[in-house]
Amino acid sequence: MINSFRSEWVPLLRPRFLFGTVAAVAAVAALGAMLTIFSAGSTDFDGDPVTVAMLAAPSGISEGLEAVTILLGVVALSVTAATLAGEYSRGTLRNQLVAQPHRLRLLAGKVLALAVFVVGVVLAAAVVAVALSFALAPVKGIPTDQWASLSGLAALGKSLVNVSLGSLGYAVVGALAAVVLRSPAAAIAVGLAYALPVEMLVSRIYSPAAGWLPMHLMEVFSVGGTGYATPYQQAGLRVGVFCAVAALLTALMFRRRDVTA
Amino acid sequence: MPAAPGVPAAPGVSGVSDTRVMPADAAVWTRGLTKEYGPRRVVDHLDLFVPAGALSGFVGPNGAGKSTTLRMLLGLVRPSAGEAFVLGEPVTSPEDYLDRTGAMIEGPTFHPGLSGRRNLEQLALLRGVGRGSGLGHRRRARRERIDEVLAQVGLAGRADDRFGTYSLGMKQRLGIAAALLPRPKLLILDEPTNGLDPAGIREIRTLLRDLAGTGMTIFVSSHLLSEVEQICDHLVMIRSGRMLFQGHVADLLAAEDPRILMVPERDDDAERLAAVLGSAGLRTEIEMADEARSLPTLVERHPVVVAHAPDGLAAGINRLAMRAGITLRSIRTHRPNLEETFLRATGDVDGDLTMRGGAT
Ligand SMILES: Nc1ncnc2c1ncn2[C@@H]1O[C@H](COP(=O)(O)OP(=O)(O)O)[C@@H](O)[C@H]1O
Ligand SMILES: [Mg+2]
Repeated sequence: MINSFRSEWVPLLRPRFLFGTVAAVAAVAALGAMLTIFSAGSTDFDGDPVTVAMLAAPSGISEGLEAVTILLGVVALSVTAATLAGEYSRGTLRNQLVAQPHRLRLLAGKVLALAVFVVGVVLAAAVVAVALSFALAPVKGIPTDQWASLSGLAALGKSLVNVSLGSLGYAVVGALAAVVLRSPAAAIAVGLAYALPVEMLVSRIYSPAAGWLPMHLMEVFSVGGTGYATPYQQAGLRVGVFCAVAALLTALMFRRRDVTA
Repeated sequence: MPAAPGVPAAPGVSGVSDTRVMPADAAVWTRGLTKEYGPRRVVDHLDLFVPAGALSGFVGPNGAGKSTTLRMLLGLVRPSAGEAFVLGEPVTSPEDYLDRTGAMIEGPTFHPGLSGRRNLEQLALLRGVGRGSGLGHRRRARRERIDEVLAQVGLAGRADDRFGTYSLGMKQRLGIAAALLPRPKLLILDEPTNGLDPAGIREIRTLLRDLAGTGMTIFVSSHLLSEVEQICDHLVMIRSGRMLFQGHVADLLAAEDPRILMVPERDDDAERLAAVLGSAGLRTEIEMADEARSLPTLVERHPVVVAHAPDGLAAGINRLAMRAGITLRSIRTHRPNLEETFLRATGDVDGDLTMRGGAT
């Protein structure tokens, strides 16, 4: 597994891919920070009022990051789906399986490398979002002394963990879609279609379902449960169960299916 | 004592001739290997035997089931029925033999955005090439091994260019380099000459012959017999997933019935010539050749005496004819090559047409 983990970094660290991903994520994070800071004194996406005092609280340091959890999830899902499904569609998976015939070890190494990559992406986003928040705060007259306090850092740490776990949840969906569909375009399309419009439609039509829709719960979990009907712990538990089932399905399919591509 | 009808022989009694016992020198051995995709039987009860230490060809037209068979041997595809062993281990546990096996299946597939060297590095890391030494040593050992295989396939000069920019021949060679990384005992290559120009094909052939010279077992597939017949010791031919021929190339040629074709100067001498050769112990027949087929205004038909004899007897036959006072207008030897044998075996071309087209 350690061999598989190490070898997976060779394609992940190719400059174009790395630069493209980091640039996209930085742009997303910058967007999150700007929207958050400039929403002070008006309303946020959901129409709730945002005040300078709210943003000045310790948790304000990570508001910019949390604002874009869905977009970071989209990046995580896309990267995972494209990387895994690409191995099928390019035919590179068969070379790798000849080099490492133990399929679960190969998969575990790959998934672990992708997970570290996703967490790295979230950290990069956090750096950009937090730095930009500090830079923009004076424009709106938001005091930042509480951000830099111990409780501010604690809030940031908690937020990092939650957003990372939420993104990993999206990545699990991407991995499942990749192993089922074996084509990057199809895997990304189906994964995102499910994550965004399908769940939204379902919860519109039958609102109690929201408490059980995994992608929605990941969002709830990522932002620490604030403002949602489902409590944080419960959301976390359900997301955990969902991810475990998805991971099991992914592993079973990866192990059992013929590699004909 | 003959066994009673319907009573199977006790296992093991028949000893070495028992086809259910794997010979010790088998690199690949299968019994009843079958793959079905839905209702379609793509590989149909193959009993393969690929001897260790030899260069074996695996030939069949496109869609014959070569790649599917090779995928089963590499643990990529699960057989529907039958059993298969590679290097003495069952294909159900590929981890027991793939560390000693290198393979390229259905063309070279690498990451187009990475250089040839980085692509090899990924596979070398995955295989743990250079394992056992210290960390710094390991990296050096890996680098050295990659340089070695790149040099072996003649790709050292372009190793740092992106795979996407390679020509087909270079891609094929990178595929072979990747297969060579683990210093394999068994090398399985699926159509390594596909799409190459004659010079490229020659290069690959030379490389394979050199590798076989080191004692490596090589199993190489091709849809063109002509591409492998010169280099292979052993041959497996399949069609529609079924075995057509398996054995030494020399055996196949010996089974093929070489001929000597003679046209006497005077048509009347044909029967006498046939009789003379017949009394010398050769099987002969007389055919009417339509020599001026392409020039309809000059229709000139001469009887052709066909003797079933290898080309080595041509001079002797000529001498016999001279002694009998028969002058020959022409004498040709005809040794059908494997391609014709193959085509005839597969029923694509009838024997007569093959013989005329392939006369040498
Ligand atoms: N995954 C698959 N599903 C269905 N049919 C397949 C699959 N893979 C191969 N086949 C069919 O099996 C036959 C043999 O294919 P293949 O093994 O690639 O032949 P070859 O390598 O000799 O050209 C072909 O007719 C092909 O269409
Ligand atoms: Mg093929």
